[in-house]
Amino acid sequence: MKNKSNSVIGMAFFGPALVLMTVFLFIPMILTLIYSFTDYFALNPKLTHFVGLENFSTIFKDDLFTTAFLNTVKFVLIIVPLQTLGALGLALLINKVTVCKRYFKVAFFIPVVMSLAVVSNLWMQIYSPEGILNTILSNFGIDAQPFIYGADQALPSIAFMSVWQGVGYQMIIFLGGLQAINPALYEAAEMDHASGWSKFMNITLPELKPLCVFVFITVTIGAFRMIVQPMVMTGGGPSHSTYTIVYDIYETGTVNWEIGLASAMAIVFTVFVVILTIIQTILTRDKEDKHENKKAKNR
Amino acid sequence: MKTKKQKIVNGILAAVMLVMSLFFLFPVIWMLANSFKPDAAITADMNSASAFIPPAPGKGFFDNYKEILFNTSFVRYMLNTLFYAAILIIAGVIVNGLAGYALAKIKFPFRDRWLAVIMMLMIIPTETIITINFMFVSKMGLLNTVFGYVLPMIVNPFNIFLFRQVFVSLPDDVWEAAQLDHCNPVKYFFTMVLPMSKTVVATVSVFTFLNVWNDYLWPSLVFTSSDLLTAQIGLNSITSNDNTTMGQTLAVITLITIPVIIIYSLFSKQIVEGVVSTGSKEG
Repeated sequence: MKNKSNSVIGMAFFGPALVLMTVFLFIPMILTLIYSFTDYFALNPKLTHFVGLENFSTIFKDDLFTTAFLNTVKFVLIIVPLQTLGALGLALLINKVTVCKRYFKVAFFIPVVMSLAVVSNLWMQIYSPEGILNTILSNFGIDAQPFIYGADQALPSIAFMSVWQGVGYQMIIFLGGLQAINPALYEAAEMDHASGWSKFMNITLPELKPLCVFVFITVTIGAFRMIVQPMVMTGGGPSHSTYTIVYDIYETGTVNWEIGLASAMAIVFTVFVVILTIIQTILTRDKEDKHENKKAKNR
Repeated sequence: MKTKKQKIVNGILAAVMLVMSLFFLFPVIWMLANSFKPDAAITADMNSASAFIPPAPGKGFFDNYKEILFNTSFVRYMLNTLFYAAILIIAGVIVNGLAGYALAKIKFPFRDRWLAVIMMLMIIPTETIITINFMFVSKMGLLNTVFGYVLPMIVNPFNIFLFRQVFVSLPDDVWEAAQLDHCNPVKYFFTMVLPMSKTVVATVSVFTFLNVWNDYLWPSLVFTSSDLLTAQIGLNSITSNDNTTMGQTLAVITLITIPVIIIYSLFSKQIVEGVVSTGSKEG
């Protein structure tokens, strides 16, 4: 009797979320998968055929999608090392500094609280041909740079701006990790007269390793999802140099209404994100198990 | 002797970091200083240190801000966003909270499977399904409506999981006692469970607010009519207008950041704990 009422109450509690999840998460996911094998065109749904894997071969032959794919990879390759190492470096410095600690934490976190649209609009001014950055550079005898208006510089300029905005977030995560390291480890190392470098290599880095994996993967996924900054700042240009995968999904699906193609792109995109997440889960789980073992041994 | 050396090292480190932080923040300092200037002054100051110094308060000091607040629809966009955030906070806490409680405390069929499904859903990025959701909403005739914007955003696997993790550690006997008293379970949830879990409710509310306030892609798809725009989308329609001056652009992006700064300074402890815990939980 009690079990029965429990399942009724349980479903009543879970029901509203389940309905919304079904309509706005499950069905769209299944439809994305199904549509990726069809030539579904939202303006003329009656002419839909099953086309097998044709969409996938089409998008990888498509110059625009391959450009978008490579651009996204470039974003990842610039953003991930800069943001991960930058955040780690800042966290180490702030952990070390004894004066104005709170000020430094806040200062490097400020860009995080600004929205993507705000940061993009601000840096459009900073990067403008007669803007403040070019003015400062001209004082060092550097010619005016096109930044986001030049096909060669637009992508690195946006990537740099994204690092500037995001680095404070991972810095806070690393600071949390640094503060969680047992001080006894350092005290023991000091008894052995270990150098600062060897303390860093033998204590700090190994203790932070799971966190490094987490930060590395989340920053990678974040960079992989890049769309708003190029959308606001360059419209994907000049000459598609800042066009990304998600931007292509967005335009193919919601502007051109080619749902079949857009779904195939979305599947490719999702596969990458899921693979990254699985790698992270495996790596961190491994570390955690070892950690547990170590703790068990110490007991 | 050693402590003196230590002090000098600390001083140098702090000085270097101070310079670093100023370099790092130069865009923000420039934004604030120049949001009070007319465009002629911004251009004239560009090549001197006064590019980073606000003008002396006087006549016309707040002109850019006045222009944005009184001669554009910006205030309306801000109020729209606050309204959407309020709906999504209330609906989100109720829907995700109830689901989290069911997953934590009530034994209903396939509960553990559902939990696994929710954890898998957390992996899928919203960009995957944004096209289909946009198609759904437009076919339902909900484009340019509050419903079209809000409905797909209410349920959030992350928040369900967050609630579940907190509710799991609530004592079981209270729920059992409530059942013996034939207490209405919904009433019990609102009068006992939620008040006992103020922290997680606050965390979810704060993150929902920040998410709605800063969201760009989804509102840019759903809203095209200017009456309903959120602040971020409205911001773009203001800054891309040719009549908007540089100073006004800087003023509007400053204004739009103020509510977020307020939220961060009020809830900095919860937010930092939330940020750090995402790292330590999964890392």
